[in-house]
Amino acid sequence: MSSDVRGEAQSQARSGDTRLRALDLHKTYELGKENLVHALRGASLEVAAGEMLAIMGPSGSGKSTIMHIMGCLDNPDRGEIWLGGRRVDNLKSRELNRLRSKEVGFIFQGFNLIPTYTALENVALAGEYAGMSRRRAKAVAAEALAGIGLGKRLRHHPSELSGGQQQRVAIARALVNEPGVVLGDEPTGDLDTATSHEIMGMMREINQSTGTTFVLVTHNPEVAAACDRKVCMLDGVVKRDVP
Amino acid sequence: MRTFRNVFRRKLRAFLTIFGITIGVFALVVMGSLAEKITLLVNGGTRFYSDKVTVSQSHEGGGFSVSPMSVSLIPKLEAMDGVQVASATISVLFDKQQGASFGVPDLINASDLRGQSLESFKVSYAQGRPLKPDDAGKAVVGSDMVRKLNAQIGSTIKVRGRDFQVVGILDKTLTIPDNSVEIPFKDAQSILYNDLPDLVKSRLDSTRLATGATVYPKPGVDPNRLAQQINDRFPGYQAVGPQKFQEQVTNSTRIFTTIVFGVALISLLVGGLSVINTMTMSVYERTREVGIRKSLGASNARIIRQFLGESAFIGGVGGVTGLALGWLFTLAANRAGESSGTEVFLLTSRLAIGSVLFAIVLGVISGLYPSWHAARLNPVKALRYE
Repeated sequence: MSSDVRGEAQSQARSGDTRLRALDLHKTYELGKENLVHALRGASLEVAAGEMLAIMGPSGSGKSTIMHIMGCLDNPDRGEIWLGGRRVDNLKSRELNRLRSKEVGFIFQGFNLIPTYTALENVALAGEYAGMSRRRAKAVAAEALAGIGLGKRLRHHPSELSGGQQQRVAIARALVNEPGVVLGDEPTGDLDTATSHEIMGMMREINQSTGTTFVLVTHNPEVAAACDRKVCMLDGVVKRDVP
Repeated sequence: MRTFRNVFRRKLRAFLTIFGITIGVFALVVMGSLAEKITLLVNGGTRFYSDKVTVSQSHEGGGFSVSPMSVSLIPKLEAMDGVQVASATISVLFDKQQGASFGVPDLINASDLRGQSLESFKVSYAQGRPLKPDDAGKAVVGSDMVRKLNAQIGSTIKVRGRDFQVVGILDKTLTIPDNSVEIPFKDAQSILYNDLPDLVKSRLDSTRLATGATVYPKPGVDPNRLAQQINDRFPGYQAVGPQKFQEQVTNSTRIFTTIVFGVALISLLVGGLSVINTMTMSVYERTREVGIRKSLGASNARIIRQFLGESAFIGGVGGVTGLALGWLFTLAANRAGESSGTEVFLLTSRLAIGSVLFAIVLGVISGLYPSWHAARLNPVKALRYE
């Protein structure tokens, strides 16, 4: 299944197909009785297969919300999400879980590794959730970690790894099921400039070698500059598409 | 292994919670062993009395107090319609001054052996032979008395100051014969006679003495009905059939067993509450982790399974530890009571397995709410949780 997804993504990348499409998304959060936050007010966005896109914008503009909705972590109040030609905003949570486990990978600012698990277990967990046996998931995870230069850190816990190493574990975890799309929420936000560079370079290389689509929410202009394209969000709407 | 690490993330808290379950299971095992022993004694007694009627002089208080009666009752009993054989018996305390004891006290038993061939409660002999009607100064020793009397086949034991030669040693029966010594009827009559006050002695013939009769009904005759007929015909005597015996004993033991198990279950429930507390705390602390797992595609069922696994683990570890401690305790207590014949605990396999299973089930039940709460967390909110 996952290699099919990969193949599909690569062929779409070549043909310039749309990998992700958000249409007129609306999302309102209720923080208190009279305190409504309109996070999205009709945001639309298209991401081509194999593309590396940066979403920029001030805090509270809806960047993270659109990322969460595109990653099937949250449902929009209104609007449509299409993932690889399939509409997913109206799916049941069971189906969304399955989609998240196989077709979407996440990378977060705070790395979000499970502290009691080793690097290997953290990566293998994603494989297990996608339906692999524990043994197979570990084998695949070990390979993925070796592939990003952490072959000697398999048994280390997150607390024993540097920030850059932790983020590389998180990247391995996001990629272990060979998803069509990787969504990053400030993936370099907690890293120093040099490490940030290194992580960006790694993602770029993966993007180019595998055709995996990347959507990165970022404040960092350097990260945005390294992407194929960047868009800006303001007040819950995608404002500008800067070529 | 991962479950272990998750549970012991907060070592002190995990330890205390497990300890709570341990105490509960310990109580269940110890109290339950006590109840099991009582049930066993009662069941043994029920079997012992299953098809015969026991007749004794009626007296207040019941139990094992001894009231002598005359063997002249025997032919009168045998003249009754439903009676096949009536056998005179003597049962007196092994130690005249023996105080209160748990279960059946140590006894000297004797019978005129007339009903031997009809006895359905068969005893088997670890060594030696049964008593014969013409034996004198011989004894058959019950299994629990062997160590106490240092008895071997051919050795001489003291019973109420008299020497008896051991001719047989019984296998364990789990009821009355275990802690009794059986001696010839005539010797028992003499011991019984000596126990009596001098005033009474002068009016009695020692060869006419007994303390009771065992009545074996004819085939097809209901022993309970026969007991009733004897009670009607011979006022001043008390005839007890199997049903009456069972009622008398089961009623009193059932209340005891219920209280004993009740106390143990309450302590286990307290342990269960602490599991709920611990797991709820754990879920709150790991809200972000739940968010991460959900972002990786974990289904609700999977999240529930994970946390239920952890609470079952707490229950299981607490259960096994409690069982081990309870086992050691009952072992030590029985060893200490062995010399005095008061082995009051019986840890059965059903109790052992049952207690651990109960602890695991309790862990799972206690984990239900926290796990369900974790599974229902909104992934986006959970990921933002600091």
